[in-house]
Amino acid sequence: MHHWMFNCHEVTRLVSESLDRKLPLYQRMGIRMHLLMCKFCSRYRKQLLLMKEILTRYNESDRPKDIFEPLSEEARKRMKHLLSHLEGHNHVH
Amino acid sequence: MRACTCRICSPVERQLINASSSCELIRMNESKKEKEVQDLDPKLWVDQYGDYLYAFALTRLVDRNAAEDVVQETFVSALHSMKNFRGHSSEKTWLTSILKHKILDHFRKKSREEKHHFETVGDNIRQLFDGKGHWKEGPEKWKTSPKKLFEQKEFLKTLYACLEELSRRVAKAFVLREIDGLSTEEICKVLDISATNCWVMLYRARTLLRQCLELNWFEISPGGAS
Repeated sequence: MHHWMFNCHEVTRLVSESLDRKLPLYQRMGIRMHLLMCKFCSRYRKQLLLMKEILTRYNESDRPKDIFEPLSEEARKRMKHLLSHLEGHNHVH
Repeated sequence: MRACTCRICSPVERQLINASSSCELIRMNESKKEKEVQDLDPKLWVDQYGDYLYAFALTRLVDRNAAEDVVQETFVSALHSMKNFRGHSSEKTWLTSILKHKILDHFRKKSREEKHHFETVGDNIRQLFDGKGHWKEGPEKWKTSPKKLFEQKEFLKTLYACLEELSRRVAKAFVLREIDGLSTEEICKVLDISATNCWVMLYRARTLLRQCLELNWFEISPGGAS
């Protein structure tokens, strides 16, 4: 079966690139033709868009808490120590 | 275009920040609302904001040691530039904006160091396709809805673990693009790479992440019909 002029490897690369810049017309046409015939690449595209949607919301404001472990006790101590040391230093000058 | 007036920005950052207008320090200075000036209390920083800043850094750096380092650098910088804090934004926002600078600094420094290793980023992508460029094993159909997913902590944990698996450099470009929403041009500047390299990295990152999520998270619908 001929998938227009791009194969799946090329189409996946172009589908990804289309999320980052506007592709030339012949590439957009080529992708569209290929996607009409190829269910794997259509899924790939759909799933990339889904991932993008999820990741766009993957930020501090609406991310559930406690995904990450807290700062380690050791790092906490070290930073507190450093801060109080530097703060004392700041006051002297 | 306005130049960033904060003292932490390097010239490159100023450009970046003008492009994305995300520097809290600029907004702070421009804010016309005179709020009560808030007092800073460095003694409480670690307990109050340590975990938050650490999670923020970890999301982007995907490296525990590096995340600890930038958080520490942030506190130190903040302490030295307390004079610049005008109390127009919250202490947390102010510290976060300093952290953002530190993260970009870290990316830049790392990308200079890793420049020569770029070619060793394995091309695992090719193995997914046969000699003619057709899928060996195509993507499965995912049984899922993003809304439901997003509420599931476990999913984000899987996502994070997958990001950790990605090669550092590829993951960096990806995080800057998808989580921080930087343009390819901005990413090129931060990582000091060509646009073509950037597109290739993003392609690899997306393809490998897709595969990792499919293996570790998504229920595959039976039959596999599209």
